[in-house]
Amino acid sequence: MIDQRVYEMFRDIGRDMYLHNLCSSHGGNISVRFGDRIIIKRRGAMLGNLKPHDLIETGLDKNDSGVALASTELIVHRAIYKATPALAVVHGHPRRAIAMSLSRDEIIPIDNEGSYLLKKIPVVEVEFASGSPTMANTIADALKSYKIVMMRGHGSFATGQTLDEAFQWTDALEEACEIIFYARQLNEEMIEYRKHSASYTTW
Amino acid sequence: MKGWMGKVLVVDLTTREVATRPLDPNMARQFIGGRGLGARLLWDLVGPEIEPLSPENALIFCVGPLTATGFQTSNRFSVSTKSPLTGTVLDANSGGWWGMHFKRTGHDVLIVKGKASSPVYLEINESTVEIKDAAHLWGKTVSETSAALGQDKNKRSVLCIGPAGENGVLFAAIMNDVSRSAARGGPGAVMCSKNLKAVVVQGRVKTEVDDRERFKFVEYEATKMLKANPITSQAFPEFGTAVIMNIVNAIGALPTRNFQQSYFENAEAISGETLTETLLEKNQACWACPIACTRITKTGKGEGEGPEYETSWAFGAACGVDDLEAITNANYLCNDLGMDTITAGSTIACAMELTERGLLNSDLRFGRADLLERMVEDIGYRRGLGDKLADGSARLAARYGAPELSMSVKKMEMPAYDPRGMQGQGLLYATSNRGGCHMRGNMLGMEVLGLPKLIDRMQVHGKAGFVILHQNGSAVIDSLVVCKFANIAVADEYFARALTALTGVEYPTGELIQAGERIYNLERLYNLREGFTRVDDMLPPRLLNEPATGASAGQVSQLEPMLAEYYRARGWDENGVPKPKKLEELGLAELVEVAR
Repeated sequence: MIDQRVYEMFRDIGRDMYLHNLCSSHGGNISVRFGDRIIIKRRGAMLGNLKPHDLIETGLDKNDSGVALASTELIVHRAIYKATPALAVVHGHPRRAIAMSLSRDEIIPIDNEGSYLLKKIPVVEVEFASGSPTMANTIADALKSYKIVMMRGHGSFATGQTLDEAFQWTDALEEACEIIFYARQLNEEMIEYRKHSASYTTW
Repeated sequence: MKGWMGKVLVVDLTTREVATRPLDPNMARQFIGGRGLGARLLWDLVGPEIEPLSPENALIFCVGPLTATGFQTSNRFSVSTKSPLTGTVLDANSGGWWGMHFKRTGHDVLIVKGKASSPVYLEINESTVEIKDAAHLWGKTVSETSAALGQDKNKRSVLCIGPAGENGVLFAAIMNDVSRSAARGGPGAVMCSKNLKAVVVQGRVKTEVDDRERFKFVEYEATKMLKANPITSQAFPEFGTAVIMNIVNAIGALPTRNFQQSYFENAEAISGETLTETLLEKNQACWACPIACTRITKTGKGEGEGPEYETSWAFGAACGVDDLEAITNANYLCNDLGMDTITAGSTIACAMELTERGLLNSDLRFGRADLLERMVEDIGYRRGLGDKLADGSARLAARYGAPELSMSVKKMEMPAYDPRGMQGQGLLYATSNRGGCHMRGNMLGMEVLGLPKLIDRMQVHGKAGFVILHQNGSAVIDSLVVCKFANIAVADEYFARALTALTGVEYPTGELIQAGERIYNLERLYNLREGFTRVDDMLPPRLLNEPATGASAGQVSQLEPMLAEYYRARGWDENGVPKPKKLEELGLAELVEVAR
């Protein structure tokens, strides 16, 4: 039985993911870790319209009947929790960030908020970019050092102590990418306002 | 080694031998410094057969790789020993200047063993270590001792015990730079048991940095965080840590009159705002600290440092006292006698309740501000009733037939956050390796201040995960050794990057937090080896049975379900013993036998 407080947290963050254009109708997934248990979105459920039965509980290590119902990306969420101190994971399909991931190996925000919060977002790549063990390990490894990473052409994976926090990194990433798009469309020379800006790539 | 000095100084006061040995780089990598390194060294040096106040106990002073680098709040040191108050593993840490000056003598660790035949003090610089006669210093207060030994924060730092330490008060502090303290759990009593009055340090050895440019960049980004965060840039500098008094009281989590209530009707009078309006002369910072939370205050009796939040609470709400000047004077006295204000105030509060219940014959009553100073002095010199209070509230309450009136965990008094109004805080106290302590991962951040995000303070299911993460994170901060207040604004990933740039050893954030988990498990094993069990992971019955007041009215601590979830999430068995699989995962496989 999922706690009502937990359901409300999933419902609210899921709705905001959809409303902020961070996933399509049935895309994206979110989870939290409670010790050796994970609560994750049901496979195929609409993130923007979660019902109590759309939250699936299963083991961090051990399989049980929950795996038959859990999100396709359960394997990635498990790998992240095992490799990092995260207590929440948010996976989205932020559109501008995905577009940018197609042409670069890292995203360096140029706006103040993105620079302040994220510094640098690495882009990683694997052959099978949905629910594969290689993908799970690659993402988890990158998240040991970064709170949000991009899988090339697929989407973002963010960690936090709460869903709220992981959602913030996801939304901040998409905002940062949107601003890069606008700045490029203006096609004017950028006036650098950040001291040490060249160092962001070393983050 | 970069970041670390690579040297451990060992002084045996019985034989008067001084030796220097290399710091084991693998040990440094795994346990970082400060608290972690101290616990690891203590594990080897002080087994269960050794009494805390015997010459065989060790006093281990550790700094960390970040110490003295100029990174924000990199001024601290940690002291580890077996606690005479609790019998557990103990670390206490302190800010100021001493930690920075000690590292500049070219050492990471000072281990003091044995017992001198008469009072001595140590004088350490980069080329010599001297054991000097301290007969003329014995009996002197902290300020007198510091002056006599030439305290000069810009050049030479003095660390010492005061009369409370000399008289074996079980919660005596080790003081440094006159008024900074490593106080909890009684390290000052251990220092006295070695006939060691003081340690004076002076040096100019610089810490080597592997990638200076990258290190400077991380430091720069951390500065942005500290400046932007309203707690570290405005609230603490202007009002000190007691700025949270009214906030904690408003949610009904301010323990009042020995935890009989959780709301203090006169909290405003002892708040940080009132302190700033009335007694504050100026704020002050430790070395390399941009926060400057220290209060320099003035009362009718003099000028000094403090009080900060816990002290204002311990002599204030806990004792039903709303006289800020009396609280401040009691704080000055604790500093000069060298003792922990939290346990001092809480033990007086316990004695007040014992008296009001007719179990103790004394003139102590809740609200008697006029008695605070006298009681503190009597404790420090073990005079009259003070002699009994000098052993802490657990022994006091047991002596008078009411052990349940000691508001402590593992005999260490809990501070200023009531577990009935903050469920995670109760679990944190119960499972803290050094007893009822708020510095093992304060849940105030998540449950009240929204750091990094606000969670439901009354939530029970799922709370264990947050507590564990913050306990592990705290172990890292205490091992680096930096200030918890910097960590309010500066996230763990910044410290991981600073450590990587400094040492050249790759520290992904996840691995750094895992080091914290390793340290926490080692401390747990230490306590298990000492005979502690699940039964000791317990809160006083009052918090489980008597409802809170104020905005948390009707609530009690839901410890049991949280504790069961906590053990599972930690990878411990139902008795709170780490499972072999967990120890292997943490690189502590050689300790599996102890766990069994």
